[in-house]
Amino acid sequence: MNNSTRKDGPDTDLRSLLKHQHKRVYSICRLFAHNYKEHQHLFTNIIAAASQNIRTRKDNTDDKQTMLLRACINMAALHSISLELDSAVDRTIQFKSPDFQRSMSNFREAMGGISDLEKFRLFLEFEKVSADEMLSLTGIPANSRATQRKKEAETARKNFIPYIKEKLIWS
Amino acid sequence: MELKKLLQQWNSFPEVSMEERPVLSSDLEKIVVKNPLSDAFYLRKKLVLRIAVISVLWLINSWQFRHEWITQGNELYPQGALFVLLAYSLYFHVRLLFFADYPTLLALPLINFLNKLETILDKYILSFKFVSALAGFYLLFGVEKLLARASAGAYETLSRNDWYKWLILIFLSISVDILLLNTIIPRYRKLMATVKKYRDGIHSKAQNK
Repeated sequence: MNNSTRKDGPDTDLRSLLKHQHKRVYSICRLFAHNYKEHQHLFTNIIAAASQNIRTRKDNTDDKQTMLLRACINMAALHSISLELDSAVDRTIQFKSPDFQRSMSNFREAMGGISDLEKFRLFLEFEKVSADEMLSLTGIPANSRATQRKKEAETARKNFIPYIKEKLIWS
Repeated sequence: MELKKLLQQWNSFPEVSMEERPVLSSDLEKIVVKNPLSDAFYLRKKLVLRIAVISVLWLINSWQFRHEWITQGNELYPQGALFVLLAYSLYFHVRLLFFADYPTLLALPLINFLNKLETILDKYILSFKFVSALAGFYLLFGVEKLLARASAGAYETLSRNDWYKWLILIFLSISVDILLLNTIIPRYRKLMATVKKYRDGIHSKAQNK
């Protein structure tokens, strides 16, 4: 899966990128993890997903940033889905470090019960990602309603045989 | 104003303590080769295993079908039907494996990723219908072999009467399907429903904005 013994080349770039960008990964963990175990789990999964995404694309650095952010968002979404599946999960904030515990509790209190989409928006805002990139990262445009209406009109035109299209094309 | 307050809190966050932080440098070698998807979402191994088994069964069945064709045996039609079913099952599973494209799945934008995940789960649930039908055929062959050993007369009657065979085949396939519907499939259905609910939640929030 990975040639980890190679000292130079793309793998070295990938490792250095992940080392430099790991704070971004910590940041999204703050929004979605409730305790140390979840934090560890989410962090390693995001790093693994990001390295997989970057290895499958051999493009420029900007693209690597996008791949890293997509890994963050997609893995955070999967984390939420997994939590929703397991209703017995304890969702209280529990971290060993008193400072971190206090900051997490205060931040979650200030955030309130916001949805995951709002958490993604906050994450992108705090990480200084421009609003234009929202579409490429989540598939949701910044100005959602107008685009939705336009998309619905286009879909109505395209889906002239909706049943057959649904059966033949897995999209 | 609210956002400013949140941003202030965000910027004043302390570092995760060393005891809680995943040690990045030494663990990175292990982390980058780890599969990020959990078993529930990662169906590649299961699909590859099924493709391997179906391929072997298809090769064996091709030889048996050819033999029945040449000798005009009693099992010609069931073997023919099984040949078609195995070929289509193989095509379906290979198509699903290529469609899932696990190495690039997590590189998709969130909504496309969730849509694709839902389609993969939906098609995987559908693939259990093929498993039920195949199990029906092989159970029928098993019943025939048992009868041949236990009662030669009953075996003769069954092998000469196609109607009985097809009825037993349908009964066995439906039984296996019901068994799967109550044992393995609910787990995947629940997972698919949760993915769908999550995606719809994201969509509805985006539209309300």
